[in-house]
Amino acid sequence: MKAITLKNVKKDYPGCSVPAVDNLSLEVEEGEILTLLGPSGCGKTTTLRLIAGFERPDQGSIALAGRIVTGPGRWIPPEKRKVGMVFQDYALLPHLTVGENIALGLKKETRGRKVVEMTALVNLQGLENRYPHELSGGQQQRVALARALAHNPVVILLDEPFSNLDTDLRSYMRREVTKIIKAAGTTAVFVTHDLKDALAVSDRVAVIKDGRLEQVGSPVAIYRHPETEFVATFVGKSTILDGVIGPDRRSVKTAIGTIPCAHTHNHLPGRQVKVSIRPDSFELDPAGDIRGTIKETIYGGNEIEAVLEARTTNGPVDLQVHIHPEENTREGTELRFHVLPEFVAVIDH
Amino acid sequence: MPEKETACAENRIAYYRQAALENPSRFRLYIWRGNPPGFIPEALALVTALVMFIPILYVLVRGIQGGWERWLTLLDTRIPHLLWNTLSLTVVVSLAALLIGVAAAWLVTRTDLPGRKIWAWLLALPLVVPPYVGAISYIIVFGPQGLVRNLVGEAPFDIYSFGGVAAVLTMFTYPYVFLITSAALKRFNLNYEEAGRMAGLNHLQVFRKITLPLLRPAMGAGVLLVSLYALSDFGLVSMLRYTTFTTAIYFQMGSFDRLSAAVLSVVLILITLVILWLEYRTRSRQRFVQDAGTFRKPLPFSLGRWRLAGLLGLGAVVASALVLPLSVLVYWSYYGIARGALDGRFLEYTSHSLLTAGAAAIFCAVLALPLVYLKSRHPSPVSSFYEKLALAGYALPGVIIALGMVFIFNSYIPALYGTAVVLVLAYIIRFLPQAMQAESASLNQVSPRLDEAGRSLGYPPWQVISRIILPLIRPGILAGMALVFVSAVKELPATLLLRPPGMDTLAVRIWIEASEGFYDMAAPASLLIIIVSAVPLKWLINRF
Repeated sequence: MKAITLKNVKKDYPGCSVPAVDNLSLEVEEGEILTLLGPSGCGKTTTLRLIAGFERPDQGSIALAGRIVTGPGRWIPPEKRKVGMVFQDYALLPHLTVGENIALGLKKETRGRKVVEMTALVNLQGLENRYPHELSGGQQQRVALARALAHNPVVILLDEPFSNLDTDLRSYMRREVTKIIKAAGTTAVFVTHDLKDALAVSDRVAVIKDGRLEQVGSPVAIYRHPETEFVATFVGKSTILDGVIGPDRRSVKTAIGTIPCAHTHNHLPGRQVKVSIRPDSFELDPAGDIRGTIKETIYGGNEIEAVLEARTTNGPVDLQVHIHPEENTREGTELRFHVLPEFVAVIDH
Repeated sequence: MPEKETACAENRIAYYRQAALENPSRFRLYIWRGNPPGFIPEALALVTALVMFIPILYVLVRGIQGGWERWLTLLDTRIPHLLWNTLSLTVVVSLAALLIGVAAAWLVTRTDLPGRKIWAWLLALPLVVPPYVGAISYIIVFGPQGLVRNLVGEAPFDIYSFGGVAAVLTMFTYPYVFLITSAALKRFNLNYEEAGRMAGLNHLQVFRKITLPLLRPAMGAGVLLVSLYALSDFGLVSMLRYTTFTTAIYFQMGSFDRLSAAVLSVVLILITLVILWLEYRTRSRQRFVQDAGTFRKPLPFSLGRWRLAGLLGLGAVVASALVLPLSVLVYWSYYGIARGALDGRFLEYTSHSLLTAGAAAIFCAVLALPLVYLKSRHPSPVSSFYEKLALAGYALPGVIIALGMVFIFNSYIPALYGTAVVLVLAYIIRFLPQAMQAESASLNQVSPRLDEAGRSLGYPPWQVISRIILPLIRPGILAGMALVFVSAVKELPATLLLRPPGMDTLAVRIWIEASEGFYDMAAPASLLIIIVSAVPLKWLINRF
């Protein structure tokens, strides 16, 4: 049984020319962590609020653990959906202690046992009697998580959970939160606009643009084999080129030469396509076929992001490449590359 | 909120309007902007708002129906004189309070004057002295039979003159300007001033071209409060035998010429509306918002040789607005208590004050909740409309509300006329806005995300209110109750007009005793009122 099923869900904010959520269908497996990834205003938070029941869809239906919670002629209010929510600002009640926050809404009989169980799960033993303002950002987030998990929810929803944390704590809490959710065995839906968040915590990522689903897949699949131009450029950097599928179906002929491609979608040879080449596919090679001069560089410490201007028969083409930081590169340096097939993908258009 | 929703707010209104035109059953959705509240809170808010508004409406209707003859006679005889008296007093007091308030605020927040923290408190304290009590203390000292005359042989000036009234009224109203302006000065983003210095302006030019214009909204708000007070004051002007609209309405009612009282009330309501409209217009024109930036303590302006002048000035204000009234009252209380002023009757007056003001405080705290909840959680033209109806009594003088109550209870509910119920209701109408302001300030601090957290944890809406919202806004509810309680204890005109026979309160006794010259009898009650008023001072100051 699927933990969440969205079927053709549509939500208009009346008066907007573009729907907030447009005919979205999505399934989330039990125990899975799924992330809704997209730029701000793409409808991902609205999707989350639709699942929670803070908004009503105009069309379509949503089922949680097989029970339809919203659909034609059916509406279950948020308090009866068994959905846990972790808010961006945590929404801890300032006048209640950690223990009281976790116990909120629990039955008297189970309250004590649950609080002990949950503080152990999120590793906050001994802080039950503190107030939220006495906790660090990371601890507050654990409380919010414990409070949401205490009800054994069918699914737990997390709205931009890491956006209020600074960089170090952020990468630590990504691991912690994932660990806790996996330990609790709960299904979880994250919302984020941060690529690193999405790739780090998810079993699957759903990329959303203008309320529509662009692509769903594992972090690796999303990064290696983007299916649309938007996914290719939003999820990391990419060079997009026009090309024609080669006769072996394992290569694409482009302006910078014939490049190997691991993901051609079984298109027939000779078909006009666009191809996305990740910077990681370009490997420095003194004997490589692709030549170009460095146009811009951004030094990133562990790597150099560079734009390479390649000369082709159709004029110059800009390529996004990564260069090992050891290399001594300057603008104007001429370099040669070859292409590895793993991070090259044909994108549909 | 999702960005898209806010970005499309205006189109959304058009959408709901269209939907309502096509299908009348969606009308409710349209007027509530797609987010209608539950039935019970809306019904409570609507009934409260109507009860707040009806007496005022009734005064207006009765006044307009007063008849041509009466209007013409009054316009010919009384109104020009009253207009001149009222408006000149309002203008002079507003300007004087502005001058004192802004100067004191600047000295206390931005200079190196010694003891600034203490001065800030002393300058705010006159707010707890009811102006009619202040007037009594001035009569005791400077009146024709006052202390000064007894010492020197003649009164130094006529306290019963325009100058006397204006000076005394200024002393007890400037704290409004002072508190609002110093709060604004404390929040002031110093970058603006520094940008001015960078552009080559000197201290004085910076003050004139940057600080003062940016303080204008705050000064406007302060002057608005002062002028509304000057228009509505009854106790002080009647003590000092000055005639304004409020005293004229009061004496007209005393002689049972209620229709003339209603006509005069209509004129006074119009003046109040004009002032509110002027304030609204200036505020909407210059709606600049200072972004807070990071707070920095300003480098205090060095007064140098002017320090002594500053100290003397503030000293004079505190001496006349605080030290003089308090010491006079303490002296006469001592004298009065020695002569047995604290007898059984005094206890009786006190209990009447506490009972009526306490009932008003509790009702206000409860009745304000649905109005405030709708405004905060279901913002829409409807909730704003309910709020405006409920706020109607706020700016209006007590005599007008008393007149409305007399009309309505006399005509429709005579059984209750002359009972304490009418008096408490008048307090509620006058002071509910104070409870609403305190509660909504509290509620606006509570993020709607907390409501949603409650819903996701299994609470239905009413439990979200009782378990999450109410505990969180308890300080606001208590502050509102305290403010209403104190205002009701101090209230004079409506109490004089509506109290049941034999049910005198502290305020009423002060007025009666002082009118007859028994200052030793008035003083202990005055002192008690001042002490009670000091209790919510913290909240009173935080409102600004």
